[in-house]
Amino acid sequence: MAKAKTNTEDYLRMYRQMVRIRTFEDNANQLYLSAKMPGLTHMYSGEEAVAVGICEALTDDDRITSTHRGHGHCVAKGAEFKAMFCELLGKAEGYCRGKGGSMHIADQSHGNLGANAIVGGSMGIATGSALRAKLQGADDVTVCFFGDGATAQGLMYEVMNMAALWSLPVIYACENNGYSEYTKTEEIAAGSITARAEAFGIEAHQIDGQDVLAVNDLTRKLVARARRGEGPFFMELMTYRYHGHHVGDINREYYRSKAEEKEWKENRDPIIRFRAHLVSEGIATEDELDAMNAEVERDAAEAVAYAEAAPYPDASEVDQHVFAA
Amino acid sequence: MMREITLSQAVNEAIAEEMRRDASVFLMGEDVAEAGTPFKVLSGLVEEFGTDRVIDTPISEPGFVGLAVGAAMTGARPIVDLMFGDFIYLVMDQLCNQAAKQHYMSGGKLTVPMVLRTNMGATRRSAAQHSQSLQALVAHIPGLKVAMPSSAYEAKGLMKTAIRDNNPVVIFEDKLMYQDRAPVPEEEYLIPFGVANVQRKGTDITLIGTSSMVQVALSAAEILAAEGISAEVIDPRTIVPLDEATLLNSVKKTSRAIVIDEGHQSYGVTAEIASRLNEKAFYHLDAPVLRMGAMDVPVPFSPALEDLTVPTPEQVAANARKLCAGEMIHAA
Amino acid sequence: MPHDVTMPQLGMAQDAGRLTQWLKAPGDAVTKGDALFEVETDKATMEVEAQASGFLTHVTAAEGEDVPVGHAIARISDSADAAGDSPAPNDSAAPDSAPQDTLPDGHQVTMPQLGMAQDSGVLVIWHKALGDAVATDDILFEVETDKSTVEVPAGHSGYLAATLAEPGDEVPVGAALAIISAQKPDAPVARGVAAAAPAANPAPAETVAPKPAPPMQATAHQAAPQTGGRILASPKLRRVALEQGLDLARLVRAGHPQPFHMRDLEVLEALPTQTPAPQAGGTVQALRLQAACAQDGFSPFATWAADAHGLQDADALLAGLAGASLGRAATVAVERFGASRVYDVAAGRGLSAVTDTENAPDLRVRDLRATSLRAVSLGAEDVPVLSIIQQGAGLALVLECSAAQMDGPAAIALISEFAGRMEQPLRHLL
Repeated sequence: MAKAKTNTEDYLRMYRQMVRIRTFEDNANQLYLSAKMPGLTHMYSGEEAVAVGICEALTDDDRITSTHRGHGHCVAKGAEFKAMFCELLGKAEGYCRGKGGSMHIADQSHGNLGANAIVGGSMGIATGSALRAKLQGADDVTVCFFGDGATAQGLMYEVMNMAALWSLPVIYACENNGYSEYTKTEEIAAGSITARAEAFGIEAHQIDGQDVLAVNDLTRKLVARARRGEGPFFMELMTYRYHGHHVGDINREYYRSKAEEKEWKENRDPIIRFRAHLVSEGIATEDELDAMNAEVERDAAEAVAYAEAAPYPDASEVDQHVFAA
Repeated sequence: MMREITLSQAVNEAIAEEMRRDASVFLMGEDVAEAGTPFKVLSGLVEEFGTDRVIDTPISEPGFVGLAVGAAMTGARPIVDLMFGDFIYLVMDQLCNQAAKQHYMSGGKLTVPMVLRTNMGATRRSAAQHSQSLQALVAHIPGLKVAMPSSAYEAKGLMKTAIRDNNPVVIFEDKLMYQDRAPVPEEEYLIPFGVANVQRKGTDITLIGTSSMVQVALSAAEILAAEGISAEVIDPRTIVPLDEATLLNSVKKTSRAIVIDEGHQSYGVTAEIASRLNEKAFYHLDAPVLRMGAMDVPVPFSPALEDLTVPTPEQVAANARKLCAGEMIHAA
Repeated sequence: MPHDVTMPQLGMAQDAGRLTQWLKAPGDAVTKGDALFEVETDKATMEVEAQASGFLTHVTAAEGEDVPVGHAIARISDSADAAGDSPAPNDSAAPDSAPQDTLPDGHQVTMPQLGMAQDSGVLVIWHKALGDAVATDDILFEVETDKSTVEVPAGHSGYLAATLAEPGDEVPVGAALAIISAQKPDAPVARGVAAAAPAANPAPAETVAPKPAPPMQATAHQAAPQTGGRILASPKLRRVALEQGLDLARLVRAGHPQPFHMRDLEVLEALPTQTPAPQAGGTVQALRLQAACAQDGFSPFATWAADAHGLQDADALLAGLAGASLGRAATVAVERFGASRVYDVAAGRGLSAVTDTENAPDLRVRDLRATSLRAVSLGAEDVPVLSIIQQGAGLALVLECSAAQMDGPAAIALISEFAGRMEQPLRHLL
């Protein structure tokens, strides 16, 4: 059993990070619905235990690659609200100076190699990062987040093949939220998802993605082994997205029922479950946790206000950063 | 000290020198190690640098190009060998959506210092899927640099610069030129990107050729010289970045130009360069700028057909002759 | 109506001119405005334009001959074979009697009028060969106008006995293009417009509308392109010609083959320049007068008029000054960057009485100050044209018109008045 499990500070931090993700998404959803946020955005709400459980097992030197549904990974890997909201609103102080937006937030300082708007598009990048670590004798590990939908992309099989051949320190984290855009996963994925990895000889685990402690515990073990050259690994994290495929995907009863959503939200919510655990274990009181929630909400409100008032990038930036010096 | 080496040896030397100089440089691709690629360009590198830095990959072009992008984003300098230029279609997402855009999408935070070396050129009787010259496809994408060496000397200097560049660079080598020899100094040298090379001075017409077409332009210039027409031959060396100033200065001087490239003519490199000359040197033109690219057909297998698809020195000379005589190439 | 061509008076103390070159041959179709011959005086060599359309006949002066001013040297007749006309009043030299093919008898097919404002058509292609049997509805040829290409039926049945134009030739509406004979012709005749001299059919159309003539010489190595009236020249040559104040239209008039390139610059430079001046001779010349203003008084005046009097339309002011310079009520067009506005200018000095109009202008003011042009020589247009050109801090003014539009004294008065107003517009108000 990992030492961190008994560490109050780590537990509270995990709780806080999950609340930060949920709060960030609630605000982003409101910004989008009130037409203050341009473009297209995909909510991570409901999947917080996956991002937090995994990222809390990583250091800033460890890398992740993220997806179009990537706000949660970004927050979990250590990003700040202000620069994130600025990026969502296309402002100059955003993580990418407003050039990436919701689907391309990258936070190099915390090892986030960026969200990717091509489904499965970051699998090569994550595996290449792991190849670099191996070639350079570095002990960092790269986690590749992707959804169940991305398992249908051919690139995954090419890179898992090479990762297995060369024992690369990469962990493929498949967030199975049950839906590939507007289609049930069982309609697009034949056979078992973990068996795909096992075919390459990659050790694969299926785990409850709504249990942050279980996710964190497994990840710590796999990361440690990957650092020792025992990678790669594959995790299938069973989770659920509360919103539609994107903000605006409101009428979705044609592909999933309200009853199903209610069941996940009321009985399997990762934050409610972990909160109950913290209270019952005496790690924190309800009041303390409420205070923490309120503080996070204030932070988010402040960051939103800041981002709304922040300036757009100057027009002169439009052709900057096409090429690196 | 000059000696004559083949283009293949020149590329090999460039990579070896850079791998010695910088431990973050490594090489990957299909059969790059012991086999040294089908063209034997990389033979011997694995002996010196080992299989950790000269990595044979499965036949998974999108996969290993994707790995190169990730490695480049996190501090390595990969050189990816794409066995045939035609396989670029397979790696389009990794090259154009991932590598080309990371620096921009991240607001300048991420960089992708990688080299994709591949080839181009028809008349090797390899038919439609192993003979294409697809430089225009990648030159179209902002964020990718594109180098087109025209000799062993150029190949070495441009490769070394590409490896040191902090951006994704695609190098197209002409697969028919691998055994062509040219004087190459023993001493180290680099050829900067975006600096065209005036291969031959002239006053009557400018022949702009890329890669394999530089030799075609030079041969055409010889034919024309015998007729009293003085052709200037310019090799842009890199089509991204493009040394517009040198091209424009030449065309302003000669007032006529033909642009020759082995890619398909339509929507191609020749079209882009000709268009820039029209836009920026219009009032200096005494004749329309001509494009001469490969025919707009899939490259045929039969030698009798394939040879018809690529511009020849005689065709270039014939067109140059007409332009200089004030004849109309196309009806008014 | 036949029109006598005379040696023009081109200078004050000139009594004769040397005919250096005929630019048309006897029997040639001639369009009003075509360069007809070259004359050398003690001051200059110049091209003289035809003042009527028709066919050049009765050429009495040979190249190299000195001819007294006012002396008839040729005639422009209604047909190439105008032998029935009275001879020219003087025949000091016998005309070259260029023997022509005798045209076969038959129905004449003429260039059809295909549009409202069409003067001529370009023959694109013959659909029948000489000697072919032709039915009434058979397509005989294709004609290109500025709007479209049209297939024209023969209109008569018989045999194609003569073709009087070649593909690429521009032919005036109503001019003979072909002859369809009843019998299969023994000796069919093929000609281009350049050599055309329809002899056997003395009934050509009366209404031959003028239009710049097509190139008169076939090029050596390729067919003359169909230009549709546009001059085909390289961008570089256009720029250099503009910089040097050379008019490429003169190459066209000289029959130099298009497209023009830099190699043709020498030819253009060698062509005699036109310096038309008012003259009293029988032939009518285009006028070109130039004046200079030491300063551009108009720009500050326009600003002042707008600020002080609310006269915001500077073009109206310009029209007012130009109209006033004519000394009568007039309609004045002001052109700039190809756009044109037309104003009615009442007699008198009231600039506020200048009003927009759709009337046809009596005078055109072409404001070229914002261009890089430093000289213009465009020839006479439908109405007199005053061009305003920037010249340092001052202005150059050029008045071009035909002598028919305005005589010398009137032109001098107009440009002098206008120059004064442009230099010191306030004087206009005094």
